[in-house]
Amino acid sequence: MSVLGTFLGHLLRFVLYAGLQVLIVGQLSLFGLGWCFLYLGFVLFLPLRTPIAVQLLLGFGMGLAMDISYDTGGLHAAAAVLLAYLRPWVLRLLTPRDGYDTQDSVNVHQMGWQWFTVYLLMLVGLHHLVYFFLELGSFQHPLITLGRVGMSILFTSTALLIVQLLFFPVRRSRN
Amino acid sequence: MRNLIAFLLRFQGVMLFVLLEVVSLFLFITNSSYQRAAFFNSANSYAGAVLARRTQVLDYFRLDELNRQLLADNARLRQQLYPPDFTRREADSLPVGRDTLGHIIYRHLRPDPSAALATTAGPTSGSTSVRLKKPNPLARPDTLLLGGARLPTRDVEYPLVPARILNNSLRAVDNYLTLNVGTADGVQPGLGVVAAGGVVGQVKSASAHYATVFSLLHSKMAIAAKIKRDGTFGSVKWPGDDYSHALLDYIPRQNRLVRGDTVVTSGYNSVFPEGVLIGTVESFVKEPDKNFWTVRLRLSVDFSRLTYVYVVHSRPHTERDSLETAITAPEPTPAKPPVNLTRPRR
Repeated sequence: MSVLGTFLGHLLRFVLYAGLQVLIVGQLSLFGLGWCFLYLGFVLFLPLRTPIAVQLLLGFGMGLAMDISYDTGGLHAAAAVLLAYLRPWVLRLLTPRDGYDTQDSVNVHQMGWQWFTVYLLMLVGLHHLVYFFLELGSFQHPLITLGRVGMSILFTSTALLIVQLLFFPVRRSRN
Repeated sequence: MRNLIAFLLRFQGVMLFVLLEVVSLFLFITNSSYQRAAFFNSANSYAGAVLARRTQVLDYFRLDELNRQLLADNARLRQQLYPPDFTRREADSLPVGRDTLGHIIYRHLRPDPSAALATTAGPTSGSTSVRLKKPNPLARPDTLLLGGARLPTRDVEYPLVPARILNNSLRAVDNYLTLNVGTADGVQPGLGVVAAGGVVGQVKSASAHYATVFSLLHSKMAIAAKIKRDGTFGSVKWPGDDYSHALLDYIPRQNRLVRGDTVVTSGYNSVFPEGVLIGTVESFVKEPDKNFWTVRLRLSVDFSRLTYVYVVHSRPHTERDSLETAITAPEPTPAKPPVNLTRPRR
C-alpha cells in the first residue's frame, strides 16, 4: 500500500473513531460510573510495526481532539500518549514463542482470545488508572475513583471487543 | 555529528514521549484559567458546530421531555404573573422597636386620615373623595419586600441571554457545559449562568457563537452564598462526588442551622445577582478539628436534565470590579464572615 493510501486509511479511522466517540458513545454511562473510551481503539488497533514516533503523534492528536470536545485541556492527550508509549512494551511482553509474523495484527481472530484479552485489559487498565487519578489530581476519594476505573475498564473493553468481532477480518489478508 | 544523529534516532520514542506529555500536562494544568484562547475547548467553532448538530439530532428523541420542562417553566412564570392577593397590600405601619414593657412600637407611615381630611377640606371640598382614593404616591412606603428576589429581565442594557446546552458532563472532577450563544449574543467570559431552578455556573470562554461554562460541579468553582433565613454567608463548593449535592463552607460553629434552610447567592462576588437559589440544607455536622460547620446542600438544579439556561449580567459588575481591584488584591473566596453581624436569632 502506498504512503498516501496508508495516510488516508489512518485519517478515515481517526474520523470514524472520534465521530463515534463524540456523537454516540460518549453520551452513555455504565451504572452512572463508567465511561466508554472507544477512541482508544484507534491507538490500540494500529498495525504492529507502526514506528513509535508515529504512534505517539497519532495518540496525541486523538487525545487532543477528545480534549477539545470534552473541555479537559490536555487530560485525554496525556493519557493517550502514555498509552501509545506503553503499547510496544506490552506487545514485546506478549510476544508469541516464535515472534510476530509479518502479517500479524491486533486481531482477536488471529492472535487468539487469551492474547487479546491480556493485551486489552492491561493497556486499558493502565490508561484508565492514569486518566482518572490524573483527573482527580490527588488520591482523595480512592474508592469511588477505583469504582470509576473498574466500570470504565469493563465498558471500554466490551465496546472494543465488539468492534473487533464486528469489523476485523476473520481470515488473514494475503498481501 | 553522526553520533548525535544516531543518539537522537535511538531515543526518538522517549524524547517525543516526554515532549508530548509535557505539552499535554501543560494544557491540562492551565485549563481552568480564563486566559486560555477559545481554541482548545469546545467553544472552538468546529467543535461547537459538531456538538450543535449532535444536539439537533438527539433532541428529536427527547422532545417529550423538553416540552414537559418548558411547560413546567411556563407554569412557574405564569404563576408569577398572577400575584398572591397580599402583594398589593401596603403596611400602614412598621415595627420600629420595643418599649420598656416589651410592647412593639409601630410607626405609622401614612398620615392620619382625619389629618388628611382636615388639610383637604376647604376650598376644594368637592373633590375630597377623589383625592382620598388616590393619595399622593410620595406618602407611601416605596417598597415592602414580600416575595423573593426578582431579576430585571426587561433591562435593555443588561439582558438575560437564553441559551441551549449543547454539551454537559457530570462524572468528571471538573465539569464544563457548552452553550449555543457567544460574543455575538453579548456573552462575555466571567458572566454567571442560571437555570429556572437556580445557579448553574460561570462562563469560562466564548467564541463568536459558542461559549464554554464552568459548571457549579467544578473543583475550582466557589460561589458566594448566604442562608436566606438569617443572612449568614459562606461559600458553596462541590466536593466532587455526587452531582446533586454540594458543600457550604465558612458557616461559623456557633450559628444555628435548620435542615431545609434555603441557600441563595449573596451577590458578593458580583457574578450572580443577589438572591438566586442554590439549594437547601440537607444535613450538617460539627467536626472536631474545624472552626466551621460541615454543611451538605441539596442543589436545586438537577444537572442531569439541564436543557435551557440563561446567561445573567450582574448589574454593577464592571464598575465594582474596577473599584475593588483598585483598592485590594482580588480574593477568590469570600473573606471570613464577621461573626457578630450574623448572630442567630432565637
